[in-house]
Amino acid sequence: MWQQVEDSLRESMDRVFTKIATLLPGILAFVLVLLIFLLIAWMAAALLRRVLTAAKFDERMSSGAGTLAEWTPLHTPTILAARIVFWSFFMIGVLVGVSAFEAASAESGISAYVFAYVPRVIGAAVLLFFGTVIGRFLSRSVLISAVNLNLQYARLLATGVRWLVFVLTAAMVLDHLAIGGEIVDLAFGILFGGIVFALALAVGLGSRDLVSRSLEREAHRPAEAPVEEKLHHF
Amino acid sequence: MSKSDLADETKTEIQQSGPVDLLIGVSGAMNWAELQQHAAGLLHGLQESGTISSVVIAYPGEGEAFTEQADTDLPRLMSYPLSSSDPASLPWLVASAAQKAICSLAVELGAKTCVMLHSDLEMLRTERVELLTQPIVEQQCDLVLPVYPSRKFDGLLNHSILAPLTRALYGQRIRYPLAPDLGCSARMCQKISESASAHERGEGSLLWPATHAAISNYRVCQANVDVHHAPQTEGLELSEVLTSLAGSAFAEMEKYAPCWQRVRSSQPTATSGNISPQINDGEPVDARPLIDSFLLGSRNLQEVWGLVLPPVTLLELKKLARCAPESFRVPDELWVRIVYDFALAYRLRTINRGHLMGALTPLYLGWVASYVQEVAERSPQAAEQRFEQLAKAYEEGKPYLVSRWRWPDRFNP
Repeated sequence: MWQQVEDSLRESMDRVFTKIATLLPGILAFVLVLLIFLLIAWMAAALLRRVLTAAKFDERMSSGAGTLAEWTPLHTPTILAARIVFWSFFMIGVLVGVSAFEAASAESGISAYVFAYVPRVIGAAVLLFFGTVIGRFLSRSVLISAVNLNLQYARLLATGVRWLVFVLTAAMVLDHLAIGGEIVDLAFGILFGGIVFALALAVGLGSRDLVSRSLEREAHRPAEAPVEEKLHHF
Repeated sequence: MSKSDLADETKTEIQQSGPVDLLIGVSGAMNWAELQQHAAGLLHGLQESGTISSVVIAYPGEGEAFTEQADTDLPRLMSYPLSSSDPASLPWLVASAAQKAICSLAVELGAKTCVMLHSDLEMLRTERVELLTQPIVEQQCDLVLPVYPSRKFDGLLNHSILAPLTRALYGQRIRYPLAPDLGCSARMCQKISESASAHERGEGSLLWPATHAAISNYRVCQANVDVHHAPQTEGLELSEVLTSLAGSAFAEMEKYAPCWQRVRSSQPTATSGNISPQINDGEPVDARPLIDSFLLGSRNLQEVWGLVLPPVTLLELKKLARCAPESFRVPDELWVRIVYDFALAYRLRTINRGHLMGALTPLYLGWVASYVQEVAERSPQAAEQRFEQLAKAYEEGKPYLVSRWRWPDRFNP
């Protein structure tokens, strides 16, 4: 009995070690390819940075109105371009590594699956990047404009806009990655619809008196010169 | 403006015209009947003075009926094309575009002296035009800027940022660096015309004549004029005004950084004409809404200000926000550092430039509140002295600006 158990365990261990031994060349090939591409990516990014710095790329980009620097002011165009090149090479390295893994091991069909999914990941990353940038930009625009319009709830408004854009971006990213399926669409629809409905109820029922008082006040406001008009700025 | 931009009639007139002693340009859309009325006595008056025999008046437009000129008592009239004549454009942008075009026309005509006047034509009187031409003819000045009779609560943006900044940067003690009326010598017109054609694509840019004169080492004079133009900011958003005017001043700083960093101190500017009586503004202004705007900004914009201002300034602003309204005062040194830090952030593009100037608006209103409370009981003359004190603070704070400009990361108190 013990002999049979021992044989069975030994066979299992052999199969595990055989599997690991089969995968090991593939993993090694993947790591090696990735390291080579990381090196190439680093060199290409450094070279590009030097070339762009020598060509005064940042100054040329910042000379026009509505430039890239207006949207992502903390990163210079040179750094952005170098990063894009670095991560592009990294992604190519991952794809080549997966192919090398498949060639060096007995596993088949992995690269086909990964290659099919990569465009979605890239698309999702781009969506996430632009969603974040636009969300922050709009939020700051709303905050500053609301403060200059003397709105007491400026921060609330700005936070609302930011999260609206972020939630919209998150839903788009998940949809693009085909994660969650119908649930994401439904949840997003319910959330957005819920917010609008809640606001409509809040204004229509909860703040009905407040809104009517405010409108009445506006209608009967005397034509008094505001303080600003006594001051002339230019 | 190149010669090809001129109307055909104007080109023909330039070819036929003899030497022009004085070109008077109206920098904006004006009332034609009023122009004729004021121009009638002008030629005679100027010719009587003996120094000027040939006068041309330039107006914006494309010829039209205006050029049908039968009356020989009128100075010669000539049209010039104005690119920014869109009524939606900010008035000072239109005036700047017009001034550049008039300077180009003066170069084409070979005018010895050129005077540019506000489109309300208040300055189109012999004695007033002479105030702008005499320093050029008699004292060899290249640029004559007017000094208007000031009120306590007029031109606050000019007195708090534009004039003292120009003084500290370029060493020119100019009261109105962006005046709608000015006089230029032939070489000053040439300079402005060259600069305008070099920056043709930046059509929305303002003309800073005093800066051009300072950069070229030209002589600048001032003339006291007893004229009061209507305020140009009526009905405009303050943040839009700040973005356009202060933003343009900051952009000029960026362009001429190597020049202004060499300037150590300011020089007084020769001023001619009789000092006009100061005008009292009547009832005092309530500063409370202005302070409220500052406090609202202080509560909500700390995150944005934190990107632009150093910690010491932020701390002082927080202290200011806790002050009682009656004792609310923005010290000159603090205000000067705020302006300099915003100019630096404009250059470094720390945040979007529109956002940056929007974030300056509550701080500016804070300064206005402080100023309004400080001069409430004072005379207009005392208010003038207050501006002089602020201008000196700008000069004293210049080493701070130079240090931050040169080493923005290393020098961050």
